Amino acid sequence: MITIENLTKYYGHNRAVNDISFTINDNEILGFLGPNGAGKSTTMNMITGYLPMSGGKVTINDTDITESPVKAKKNIGYLPEIPPVYPDMKVTEYLDFCAGLKGIKGKEKKMETERVMKLLGIKDVSGKLIRNLSKGYKQRVGFAQALLGDPKFLILDEPTVGLDPNQVVEVRNLIKSLGKEHSVIFSSHILSEVSAVCDRVVIINKGEIRAIDTIENLEKPFRESLTLHIKAAGNKAVAAALIGATEGVSEITEAEDEGNNISSFIVQLSGDAEQVQDKIAAEFLKNQLSILEIYTDKPSLEKVFTELINRPVQKKSLAELMDEVIPENSSADDSDDAQEEKEEDDE
Amino acid sequence: MFPIYKKELQSFFYTPFAYAIAALFMLLFTYMIGGAVSNIQESNTLKFSFVEIFYNVTLYFIFLIPILTMRTFADERKFGTEVLLMTSPVSVLKIVLSKFLANITVFLFMLAGTLIFPIITAINGTVVVSQLICAYVGIFAWGSMFIALGMLISSFTENSIIAAIIGEIVMFAVLFLDDFANSAFISQFPKLQSVLYAFAAQPRFAYFSQGFIRLSDLIFFVSAVIVFLAWTYISIEKRRWNRG
Repeated sequence: MITIENLTKYYGHNRAVNDISFTINDNEILGFLGPNGAGKSTTMNMITGYLPMSGGKVTINDTDITESPVKAKKNIGYLPEIPPVYPDMKVTEYLDFCAGLKGIKGKEKKMETERVMKLLGIKDVSGKLIRNLSKGYKQRVGFAQALLGDPKFLILDEPTVGLDPNQVVEVRNLIKSLGKEHSVIFSSHILSEVSAVCDRVVIINKGEIRAIDTIENLEKPFRESLTLHIKAAGNKAVAAALIGATEGVSEITEAEDEGNNISSFIVQLSGDAEQVQDKIAAEFLKNQLSILEIYTDKPSLEKVFTELINRPVQKKSLAELMDEVIPENSSADDSDDAQEEKEEDDE
Repeated sequence: MFPIYKKELQSFFYTPFAYAIAALFMLLFTYMIGGAVSNIQESNTLKFSFVEIFYNVTLYFIFLIPILTMRTFADERKFGTEVLLMTSPVSVLKIVLSKFLANITVFLFMLAGTLIFPIITAINGTVVVSQLICAYVGIFAWGSMFIALGMLISSFTENSIIAAIIGEIVMFAVLFLDDFANSAFISQFPKLQSVLYAFAAQPRFAYFSQGFIRLSDLIFFVSAVIVFLAWTYISIEKRRWNRG
């Protein structure tokens, strides 16, 4: 299990990651979702021990990454945003080197490199210089490196960027199968990818966590007010009356005549969508009207995502902010400084 | 530690790099030897010694050592492979040490070529072996110090060319530190002069080329190596903290 507590990172005065906490359970695939520049890579760099944190703590299987980095790093496979490959090495040389770095020795080394090359499908380029590989292949070589030594935790920073659609599917399947025995964190700004693969999602923006939950739960609040689209053939007035009389319908927001005796309605529902659909269908049948189309508006993931990202964070009160910035016993002079700092942050 | 050492050596020897730099050094060294040999008739034959040549050859090393060390850390950063090293279960200190050892190995490879001249001389005449050993120990100690310095400079930037140029400048300054200390201007301040002189590597190297191995000189070079390597370590760690 990886525990991340109150992780904070400042770049100079610029706060890239602000006080985020979450955990990654064993054998779980955690999606790390956010727009560009949200702090995803910074967070991952801190989890893997590449960047020191300005505050907070990362523990990997009860080992603190800053206190005993070597021990903690043994359990991690990391694929950074830019695959860390040496252009003037051959693929096999490179993987051999990486295996050595991770302390894999002798016969096992060869078996391991063979295994990961097979998993990523890069065997056919194994003798090529990395500089001559396409971006997708470089990405896969980087991924292969992360899998060497079968680390318990895989941290993948946008692993599917630069791959063609076929490879994207392959890599997704690979991540899914890896999730059975590993814990995987992978970041992405592509929603469909995350929803296809992940058990849970952490959504962050501007260095702050906006939501941590399963995709289903995240969608739920957006499902409450549903919109039903109906297209029916028959008398418009009759159809409207029928819809209006159905239990669970709160109002008809739009009714349009499309000609040829076809009309379409947009209906706001207050009750359960499926029940209402069934009822309306039954009523229409009774009255010899036919339904051409009937569907509910599901909140699209994109909508959920943008809503979550753009929803205002609960602003802390000035007093709370002051408490954070100034230690309790500081003098009045300090508090002036702190206020200035706070103003800068707000900008 | 060994994988990094091996990888560094591969990057030197699987590419023309090590051969090119060794060839260039041999060319310059041979030029010096040739010059010294052609002077023999005119002057006292006793004056000719390999050891003298080593002393004179340092100027060429000043051009070559920054080229050897420029890529050490600058390229890791440029290609983003620093992340790989830093997130692998190897401590930064070990990374610095293995890279230092790899550079030293190439340096030894460069020096090994020069052995051909004493060998030819030994076949046809006599070589003062003890003095020769002193000279090689001296050039090795001297070179190690400048390699550590070059690595330090490489850790400051991600552009290897800039690392090389800054390396040349700094190493020139170090090379001529004793001349600077002896200058008329500095002579006005005897205390400053003695301090500068204490840091000058060249007079200490001169002892080796005269056939002395003094413990104090060895300690000077060893401590210089330690200081520069420790500084390299600190510079890498510091940069991780300041990144952004």
